[in-house]
Amino acid sequence: MATQGRTLPIGPTDNTSEQRTPRARLHLIPTAARASFVPFVPVRGSLRQGETDLTRVTPDRPRAQGTAIEVSGTVRTASGTPVRGGLLEIWNANTFGRYTHIEDCAPDVPIDPNFLGMGRVETDEKGQYCFWTISPGAYLARPDIGRWRPKHIHLSLAGGASRLITQMYFPNEPNNVTDPMAILMGEDFHRNIGVVYQTPERDVDHGYRFDIIVGGRNATFFE
Amino acid sequence: MTKKANTLLATNEDTVGPYYPIYFADEMYEDISRIHHGVSVKPEGQAIELTGRLIDHDGNLANGVVMEFWQANAKGVYRTPATVDDPHLDPWFDGFGRVRTADGHYRFRTIMPGAAPGRAPNITITLFSDGISRIVTQVFFEGEAGHQSDPLLVSLPAPERDKLIARKTTTTTGARGSRVYQFDIVMAGKNETPFFDDFES
Repeated sequence: MATQGRTLPIGPTDNTSEQRTPRARLHLIPTAARASFVPFVPVRGSLRQGETDLTRVTPDRPRAQGTAIEVSGTVRTASGTPVRGGLLEIWNANTFGRYTHIEDCAPDVPIDPNFLGMGRVETDEKGQYCFWTISPGAYLARPDIGRWRPKHIHLSLAGGASRLITQMYFPNEPNNVTDPMAILMGEDFHRNIGVVYQTPERDVDHGYRFDIIVGGRNATFFE
Repeated sequence: MTKKANTLLATNEDTVGPYYPIYFADEMYEDISRIHHGVSVKPEGQAIELTGRLIDHDGNLANGVVMEFWQANAKGVYRTPATVDDPHLDPWFDGFGRVRTADGHYRFRTIMPGAAPGRAPNITITLFSDGISRIVTQVFFEGEAGHQSDPLLVSLPAPERDKLIARKTTTTTGARGSRVYQFDIVMAGKNETPFFDDFES
């Protein structure tokens, strides 16, 4: 059992990390207050039709530019229990490395009129999920020092006491090794890289398996 | 940290980045003091607004932060698998909220939480932001009872405790006369807000 809380690391060459990472050591939570720190997120259906296929803005519209991929896997807690009915929120840049988010003002990087880049999917009874998207482009995150963000897909998972925000990275990408968050993960980084598989007879180029394990004491608090 | 046998290694948390889709925002999570403007039933309790600023290491506003809130109902009961049969559950209150601040100012509408056994009224706040994975803290309310004996507050050095107390203002807003509480969060540096280790503790 830990006797003192962590000091959070700061992502190298990440200015926002310098600005926003608490400097003081985190305080431990006394046992008597522990339960109050475990949010239990209510399940509320709010999915829209076609949201699991990010390769089209709506099912009747054309395919976006770039390589269509499938991403699938299971979501479990560290003890192996499937996270059922969990809400997975997904967002990624288009094939050129541009988000449709209103605050992404990247100059000279085009918007694809057939790509929104945001979707949602629920995990099933076995904790499984599957969605389609466009393989995202890398983008220049720090023009001043020439640092790129590697290709990645953002994933946010909420289900019961399980809460995780993470990113899936791609194998053999040259920018992986210079990414501040990947550097902080160190040898654990490989667990955040999708594993390629083939997708015969499905209307995507190939797939990535990305199994998600939600760790920490919160995730298993009510098991 | 030692791992128990049969424990799967967790996926690493990663930063939410600057582009969490505003598209996913849900009004029902931004104002949990009511169900919907078209619905007559509502949670029991005093409507409140928790409002303030998120401030970074240099004293600037921190934009684009996703804030999640978790609290007990007016009778001090959290809605969890452990309380499904509790007669004091409020049918119109889940206790979970979420807002994304565009420019570093935030406003969350809810009801004053009741005191859970042994605790002073509080709301857990989780922050997801570009540059960090997540940080968590709890906010307490000026004028509410139990601060002297709350186990979380008394676990902190005395100068830190005041940093977790939202200040009661004289302002009320809205048709329900919501009481407004002011609470700034300093993410890093001078006057940094105390944060807690939810994963390792």
